[in-house]
Amino acid sequence: MSDVIISLEKATKLYAGVAAIEDVDFELRRGEIHALVGENGAGKSTLTKVMAGVVALTTGTMKVDGAKASPGTPLEARQFGVAMVFQENSLVPTMTVAQNLFLGQERFYNRLRGINIAAQQFLQSLNFDVSPTAIVSGLGAAKKQMVEIARAVLHNAKVIIFDEPTAALTPEERKYFFDLARDLKKRGVSIVFISHALEEALILADRITVLRDGKKIVTDDAYKFDRASIVKAMVGRDLSHTLYGVKKTTVRPAGERMLTIQNLKMAPMVKNNSLSIFAGQITGVFGLVGAGRTETFKIVAGVMKRDFFHGGDIVLRDKPVRYRVPAPAVKAGIAYVTEDRKVEGFFETTSIARNVYLGLLAKFPGGRGLLSRREQSASGAIWIKRLNVRAIGNEAKVIELSGGNQQKVVIAKSLIQEPDIIIFDEPTRGVDVGAIVEIHELINRLADEGKAVVVISSYLPEILGLSDRILVSRQGKVVEEFSALEATEEKIMYAAIH
Amino acid sequence: MFGTLRDFAQGFLGRGEATITVPSFDGALKPNQALERAETLLECDAPEDLATDGTKVYLADGMSLARFEGNGLTTLREFDRPITALACLRGGGIAVALDGREVRIYPDPVAPNPSAIFQGAGMRSVNALAPAGSEALFATDCSATRDVDEWAWDLMERGRSGRALRLDLKTKEITELASDLRYAFGACATDGSAIISESWRHRLIAVAPDGMSKIVLSHLPVYPSRISPAQGGGWWLTAFIARTQLVEFVLREPAYRKRMMAEIDPEYWIVPRLKSGKSFKEPMQGAHLKAMGVVKPWAPPRSYGLVIRLDASCKPMFSLHSRADGFNHGIVSAVESGGWLYMIAKGPRRVLRLPIEGLAKEFGA
Repeated sequence: MSDVIISLEKATKLYAGVAAIEDVDFELRRGEIHALVGENGAGKSTLTKVMAGVVALTTGTMKVDGAKASPGTPLEARQFGVAMVFQENSLVPTMTVAQNLFLGQERFYNRLRGINIAAQQFLQSLNFDVSPTAIVSGLGAAKKQMVEIARAVLHNAKVIIFDEPTAALTPEERKYFFDLARDLKKRGVSIVFISHALEEALILADRITVLRDGKKIVTDDAYKFDRASIVKAMVGRDLSHTLYGVKKTTVRPAGERMLTIQNLKMAPMVKNNSLSIFAGQITGVFGLVGAGRTETFKIVAGVMKRDFFHGGDIVLRDKPVRYRVPAPAVKAGIAYVTEDRKVEGFFETTSIARNVYLGLLAKFPGGRGLLSRREQSASGAIWIKRLNVRAIGNEAKVIELSGGNQQKVVIAKSLIQEPDIIIFDEPTRGVDVGAIVEIHELINRLADEGKAVVVISSYLPEILGLSDRILVSRQGKVVEEFSALEATEEKIMYAAIH
Repeated sequence: MFGTLRDFAQGFLGRGEATITVPSFDGALKPNQALERAETLLECDAPEDLATDGTKVYLADGMSLARFEGNGLTTLREFDRPITALACLRGGGIAVALDGREVRIYPDPVAPNPSAIFQGAGMRSVNALAPAGSEALFATDCSATRDVDEWAWDLMERGRSGRALRLDLKTKEITELASDLRYAFGACATDGSAIISESWRHRLIAVAPDGMSKIVLSHLPVYPSRISPAQGGGWWLTAFIARTQLVEFVLREPAYRKRMMAEIDPEYWIVPRLKSGKSFKEPMQGAHLKAMGVVKPWAPPRSYGLVIRLDASCKPMFSLHSRADGFNHGIVSAVESGGWLYMIAKGPRRVLRLPIEGLAKEFGA
């Protein structure tokens, strides 16, 4: 029997012509723990999704136990013995643990008691302390993960893939997960796990693969790596060929202190976070997924609520404020441009003009007496021209626009409110290259006009190219601040994961 | 009754006056170790305040008044009580506050007799003096209940008896500009108004001659102290200690504070300090501060050193720090003279000196 359980050769996956992974060769050995590391967008998730049958390869081959395999669905992958535990777990929250375990394996006649007994015995055999009759929505993150793992083992998985398994776990739960992974390894199960916490990869993995920009950079035994060498492999791109190649030589001086966040708390994502935002500057906020950046600024904008008890302070122009809904925040001059435009950004089946006008109406928490179709049309036309939205007239539906133009509509919705503080959350995610440049110019222009601009981004070159001041967030709070003049990719990444 | 209910609700929910939050050191207040590289000019017994007439720098050290000449120090005179504040006046005169209760004006630093003496008017703890034109002085009287050295008591008692005074050199009158200040510690004159440091409220206020005041800088993560003018406009603001959540928490627990003050040696109270690291009994020592035997610079600072450069509108431009792992803590006075910034680090009892040229560029101001 071959030592290799899964192999991928020249694996390439294109999304709308853009390579998420390109010519990646990957081998997973029997009974090994293999860590996949890389920046956001490096192709880690795509690679694992290919193995788990969530997406199919565009070109290249995948072999399981030496035989060619191309699972088209997770169910097919499961038949090959490959199971994936997603970061957002795939359990049905309203069902019990036992029901979730046997979901998809139901017989014609199912006896609930029988399922519960079987689940109890199985969970005990894995030494998992989870009640089979507990409703999943009532379980903590670690226990949900246990159920996911149990389900994978129940399906006789030979390979279990974990996407950010420890992101939502407490330190104690994390240790438990490590023990569990080692136990699974002893049982001969191969494990692939994605992690942004490099120390986890160094501690737990037998081998580490570093991906960058969809390509495999290096695979080697974990003991041959240290943190610095992994970081270098992760970010060592040639900046001269990227859109953001030019390093800043001057920065805008800080203006008035517009916003101060003091010891903000929102369990479990924001932990005692403190920072300030100044007028006339772009403040870049970098962090890996789960660093609490988005949540912090959603609390500022009234989209989320801070902890009820001792949740910290938000001081806007030297006045403590607390917004429970977005409307008063908008009225106070805070605009939040969402990272998830399709869900939170616009009404996709309505026109550009109406979407932009809705942005204006949001400034009036008590409602506005008279709505003017003429004003709607005029404001739509103005903002289409100002932001160079490419569309057939201002009555074009947003769903018909490209990602970049959709993003411009979301931005227009916020800018029509004439805010003083504008928070851009991943402003160029899923946006074409041309629109990226335009959006960056717009962000720079806003800062030059004296607005306080916040750019939350997981993409280091964007942070370095745009920001005057860079805040690095890790585990729910800002841990480091750099001036754009002193910052380097290595320094920022080191602060984000150290 | 409503006030009591409000206080209870705020304490229960951790809001309003009961918040235990501290602003972060960021932007112009981003930490560095600039004070650690400052030259130690002198180690002395009890340095308290500095003053400059533009060319020479004067030092109040315990009961002595001294002057820096070249690299040496010349003692000009001795008093029978400790000097608590010092200011150079226009025309070569000098003002000294003795024991916080008396302000004497001398026509020159070595003149045998004072030209004016200000006493009474409830003065108990004068801790800063600043010339206000040629005919007056601004003074801050930090507390009506505690002496200058008892600032930790005043903080723990949540004192609010500080005052800003105007001493008229012609009429010898003392006018109260502002009262009920929460530890006034530092004054400076600007456009007829006085800028006053209010330490326990972490802010600077501008007080007009008619007594109207407005906040010019607030939400500081430190306890501000003395202010002095900077060349080219603006100010040097010293901060003798950084705020921590632990102290903020203690300040919101009256029963705890009462017991602590009654039963524990003041040396080991949970209060800010001008220096630390002497005893294992100190709160926030050991594991809080040290990792592998090394003091963490980012640890909660029991003591800290900080000077902030403010522009003419009192907006911070940049700052000079000595962090938790440094020594030059407890900066209580800073004056600019001849391209150098002279500072008193009261923690290690040092007078420091740092070249000013290049600082703004180094810290991106």
